[in-house]
Amino acid sequence: MNFGARPSLDRSSHAKNGPQHGFTASVHGTVTPPFNPMSALGPQAEAERQRIREQFDGGTGARETLQALCEMADRNIQRVLGELQHARGTEPQGLCLLALGGYGRKLLFPYSDLDILFLFGNEKAERDFRPLIAEFSKTLWDAGFRVSSAGRTLEECKRIEEDNAEFHLALLDRRFLAGDQELFERLDSKVLPGPERQARPFLIAQLRKLTGERLTRYGNTIFHLEPNVKESPGGLRDYQAASWMRQISGEKREAWSSTAAEEELTGNAVDFLSAIRCFLHYANERNDNTLTYELQAAAAQRALGLPQNAGLDAVRSAAEWMRVYFRQARTLNRQLLRYMEQRAPAQQSLRQRIFNAARVPKVEAGNNKAFAVRDGLLEINDQLALADRTVLYALFAEAARTGVPLSRETERTITYVMLHPELPARNAPLPWKAFQEILASDFPGVGLRPMQRLGLLTDILPEFTAIDSLVVRDFYHRYTVDEHTLRTIEHLQELANPPDPRGTNYASLWKTVERRDLLVLSLLLHDVGKGMPVENHVTGSLTALESAAARLQLTADEKAEVHFLIERHLEMSATVQRRDIFDPATVSGFAAVVQAPERLQRLCLLTYADIHAVNPEALTPWKAEMLWQLFVATSNHFSRTLDRDRLHALDEAPVLQQIRTLTGAASTEAIERFLEGFPRRYLAVHSAAETASHFALYQKLDGDPVQTQLIATQHAFSLTLLTADRPALFATIAGVLAGWGMNIVKADAFGNAAGVVLDTFHFTDLHHTLELNPSEVERFRKSLTDVVRGKASLETLLKSREQTSRQRAPKVEVATRISFDDTSSMHSTLLEIVTQDHPGLLHEIGSGLARLGCNIEVALVDTEGQKAIDVFYLTALNKKLSAQKQETLRELLQGTLG
Amino acid sequence: MMKLEAIIQPSRFESVKGALLEIGIEGMTVTEVRGHGRQKGHTEVYRGREYTVDLLPKIKLELVLPDKLVDKVVDTILKTAKTGKIGDGKIFLTRVDEAIRIRNEERGENALQ
Repeated sequence: MNFGARPSLDRSSHAKNGPQHGFTASVHGTVTPPFNPMSALGPQAEAERQRIREQFDGGTGARETLQALCEMADRNIQRVLGELQHARGTEPQGLCLLALGGYGRKLLFPYSDLDILFLFGNEKAERDFRPLIAEFSKTLWDAGFRVSSAGRTLEECKRIEEDNAEFHLALLDRRFLAGDQELFERLDSKVLPGPERQARPFLIAQLRKLTGERLTRYGNTIFHLEPNVKESPGGLRDYQAASWMRQISGEKREAWSSTAAEEELTGNAVDFLSAIRCFLHYANERNDNTLTYELQAAAAQRALGLPQNAGLDAVRSAAEWMRVYFRQARTLNRQLLRYMEQRAPAQQSLRQRIFNAARVPKVEAGNNKAFAVRDGLLEINDQLALADRTVLYALFAEAARTGVPLSRETERTITYVMLHPELPARNAPLPWKAFQEILASDFPGVGLRPMQRLGLLTDILPEFTAIDSLVVRDFYHRYTVDEHTLRTIEHLQELANPPDPRGTNYASLWKTVERRDLLVLSLLLHDVGKGMPVENHVTGSLTALESAAARLQLTADEKAEVHFLIERHLEMSATVQRRDIFDPATVSGFAAVVQAPERLQRLCLLTYADIHAVNPEALTPWKAEMLWQLFVATSNHFSRTLDRDRLHALDEAPVLQQIRTLTGAASTEAIERFLEGFPRRYLAVHSAAETASHFALYQKLDGDPVQTQLIATQHAFSLTLLTADRPALFATIAGVLAGWGMNIVKADAFGNAAGVVLDTFHFTDLHHTLELNPSEVERFRKSLTDVVRGKASLETLLKSREQTSRQRAPKVEVATRISFDDTSSMHSTLLEIVTQDHPGLLHEIGSGLARLGCNIEVALVDTEGQKAIDVFYLTALNKKLSAQKQETLRELLQGTLG
Repeated sequence: MMKLEAIIQPSRFESVKGALLEIGIEGMTVTEVRGHGRQKGHTEVYRGREYTVDLLPKIKLELVLPDKLVDKVVDTILKTAKTGKIGDGKIFLTRVDEAIRIRNEERGENALQ
């Protein structure tokens, strides 16, 4: 315990590193003769220490050991003080010694300091007793006791020292040791109660601050590979802080109480951690509380802290023993965090008290009546409803959707409900769709973290049990495997508002990434193999995926994507570290592995998160930049090489086989004709099932030359149109969508060798026309095909929309940037446009291109918030665009887009 | 004793480290650095934004060597770090007067082992 500096340090506070031997001489100018009668004290104390240690090594419990150390210290202190007073002929009146902090609580660890307060009746007593105290400290020091002391007069104790909260907190554990008992009684019953009551808000606030700083220093997690059993979250300091909070609050309400079962768990945890701390002190022969790998193995070998009959074989491995450690640490940390959530008692005026009594706590309705947001935390309204797992998972989904965490009291309630014999779980199996909702949210970690703490994550993903609290010795990782895993997800969700510049570039990737659910599932499983008896953990993780995918009923495509991300989760990191990322060959080789930009985005985020979660310093700005450079180069490689890499159906036997299986009686030749000449990206962004459905449309082209398919997804629609290529087709479709008030968020246009064009548009229904009027769906399709066939006028449609729509001012201004690239493609000129997105934009661009006779070979259209990013592969008369045409087009587009 | 500082391509680091290990050099200090010599920066445009890398990522190795090992280590680094392209890096050598092992206060070349 460090009591901090005080202004009058030279008068009554003694250094931690032993007594000031020159103290007496320098202040008084006289030298006190050596105190010989106690020369035997040191050897006696040492022998007793040795005996206590042997008893501990022989199996005596930590509680008894600490008690014995404490009693030994008490006896010696009392003896030394008594002998000194006797030798000097002084009376004990006016001076008393108090034990503080852990020593005050009779929890004295082998190499801990003795926290002692010298209490003086007044300033004169302080002056008079100074020589005695100097001698007292020296004698104890020589006897092997480490004294950390402070001195105060009774009057000084009335003042709360705002810069020394630690002292006042330690004083809460005061215990009379020796000297003037009447002085102690005055302090304890008359002097301190008033100021301590008054200082409650200050002490609570300071305790929260100090505790918060300590927890942050250790990354707010108990799951350190080499934890400090005193200071880390879950360490003994957590228990001490929780006890102080309860003591200072002075409140009896339920929030500050614990059930008998909880008290028992806490008691067991304190005993367990105390045993470890004793063991560490003895092993290190100093006050070092770090549970290193070596000492974990030694502690496991002697089944430290476990009952005699605890199935020792099961815990003899360090990893298993550490799991017991983390369980106990979690108990202490959970209690502390629950108390930390309690509102600090604030001093209130009468008026404030009356006002607050009438005030209802701020409650925002949740999606379900069983829970609501109260003071920024999700709280339970209806405990019994939680027995229905559908309701329970809705609570986690709400947390994941909004980023509002569950309160610790809510988690406690859930534990109670889950363990209650009269509240059996209903609807226990969680369907993939419901789990997907949590994984795909903006804040998946906010939902998953409490699920893991409550054991519900392993209900859904039993594979995760393999890495539960698992310590894997590693020079770089700082946390257990499960903690590392959850941190990866939390590092992604914090990209919504990146806490430091390392995340800035990646924020937009997290915002726009597709199939976030699969990315997060991959992260949950990527290191599961580390807990399996396999040589390469990736192999184990892929085995775990097999069982998880079967249970969750993932589709073949979903499983394949997760498989890729797990199997290749080190690929991007390895490329960054071992290859020259500025070499185009490296980029194209890496792109060949990844295959599609959507997947690149997922792999990049996974890599970013995986490195970041190794330890707080692992993702250096240097690495973050290297990773980003590889992402940008590969992404650009994808968009600039689309027409270079065309499909040759004969080389795609596995795909052909898959499509043939899905389409039944289709002939191989017909499938080959359909696929031949599409950019390879076509297969990368469409699943086999989608390709089969496109092929089915293709086969109907003879009967109807314009084939469409409209699919409603959760927040958008997806339109696919197949027809023979013709001038201004892309612009026409975009125009129809604009005419119907649809906002295109993504689109691509591919053509095959036979001149069949497959355009896909993902759009949102700004006015909910199709969503609210199902009958309009058919009218929309008819309108589209009529315009494409030339049976209806696009201008009329657009005019009617112009009359009803009004342009809104953009929230974010995006400057237009138009660039041409003649080098990336052999056959086409690439046009990249970045501009302010607005309804009808694509129609405007497409019309401009058509007006100048530009043919769109391939198009990739994307949006990022209010920014539209469009890439077109253009030809004019089957050639690249001339420089003059490029200039004319630039002027035209600049005029249109501003 | 000589202090050797080598600025190399990040992609060559694993090979250089492996080669140094093979000739018995186990200890080194490694720093992620940025810089440029004749190899200038690099600009990529992504979604309308220019990402310019004025200072290219490099790895800096620092070793203090007994005189008799200097040539061998320099040769090893030259062989393994060289790609023949601009940006392969440089090696700097400076004389070191003294080395002291903090643990046991050993001095001179003994402190390097």
